[in-house]
Amino acid sequence: MSTSDSDVNSKGDYQAIDTTPISLLQTVLEHGRVWEDLAAQYGVTNPDPPWKITLEATCDLLAGDSCVKSYKEVVPGSCALPSLERRADEDDLADTIYEDVPFPERQLMALAHTMIKRGLIEEGELKCRMLQVEQRLNSG
Amino acid sequence: MSDHDHSHKPAPMVDEVSDFEILEMAVRELAIDKGLFSQEDHRVWTEYVHTLGPVPAARLVAKAWLDPEYKKLAAADGVEASKAVGVDWVTSPPTQFGTPSDYCNLRVLEDTPKLKHVVVCSLCSCYPRPILGQSPEWYRTPNYRRRLVRWPRQVLSEFGLQLPPEVEVRVADSNQKTRYIVMPVRPEGTEGWTEDQLTEIVTRDCLIGVAVPKPGITSNAKRPIRKAIHPVQHDHDH
Repeated sequence: MSTSDSDVNSKGDYQAIDTTPISLLQTVLEHGRVWEDLAAQYGVTNPDPPWKITLEATCDLLAGDSCVKSYKEVVPGSCALPSLERRADEDDLADTIYEDVPFPERQLMALAHTMIKRGLIEEGELKCRMLQVEQRLNSG
Repeated sequence: MSDHDHSHKPAPMVDEVSDFEILEMAVRELAIDKGLFSQEDHRVWTEYVHTLGPVPAARLVAKAWLDPEYKKLAAADGVEASKAVGVDWVTSPPTQFGTPSDYCNLRVLEDTPKLKHVVVCSLCSCYPRPILGQSPEWYRTPNYRRRLVRWPRQVLSEFGLQLPPEVEVRVADSNQKTRYIVMPVRPEGTEGWTEDQLTEIVTRDCLIGVAVPKPGITSNAKRPIRKAIHPVQHDHDH
């Protein structure tokens, strides 16, 4: 019934995540209001923000079928971000720079951090897209 | 004209956009733009995830308590037994983006008065989502994952589950191929209960194994998240 904790390390090319803070994400941390505060202020009883489900789906789709394979069996390039790699990164980030961030905001910050540091997206383009999204959501 | 009743008070809503909401949407849209996945795949998968929850697993246990033949089936073939509660591990998840058949290995771990099972994923957070929904936050934490396999009795006692020494504790470590749920012992005081009544007391925590069902208890206890005082280093750091 057991798996080895060293599975993620058994593939020699795994590189631990760079935990150096990312300026854009630090800004989100400074200005963003977490769900537990918003829910308390507005009297909402749902324990999770509406975006938690879509975040989970994003993680699942980036992982492809790697969530059902041993890390050794994941063919490089077969998915954007193997699930074990993402979760190992999230553990490292949750232990360090996102230690005080509540869940699921912590999962979101870790995913964005991983995607930037592993080259899936660039910080600059994420900043531009966030501005566009903000304008869209706050319009009307 | 609308025949909707507008006299009732609407449920409270959060009336502001947070930077976290914006970040989630921006990350997703960029991933779609870059072809990492499609918008349609995301929509289909999100709809599927919305349908998931712990009720099918709870019903599986309740049915097994009431039907000895079904109980044998559940213990022998969890995937087949899942069909009776509306979960087909092969066809229920959307397959457009490759949920392969080896995902489909559910084991139902039967407790006895002398044996208590509890489930973990020591490596990440593997969880039987098709039948149990999303994992709780504490299940994902390194604190739970690493300490449960070392000191299961201590961790269970922190959940309020004190087990006498004569009860063996068995930890099932989920992995990419196999997912687990626990079938607890049917509690006293439930004689003559219907399947629906029994289903209500089999909470998510009972199905993970950190709680046992009790008449009158139909929700999970709120549990503070704690960090390890002396965190164990990740193996990939070594």
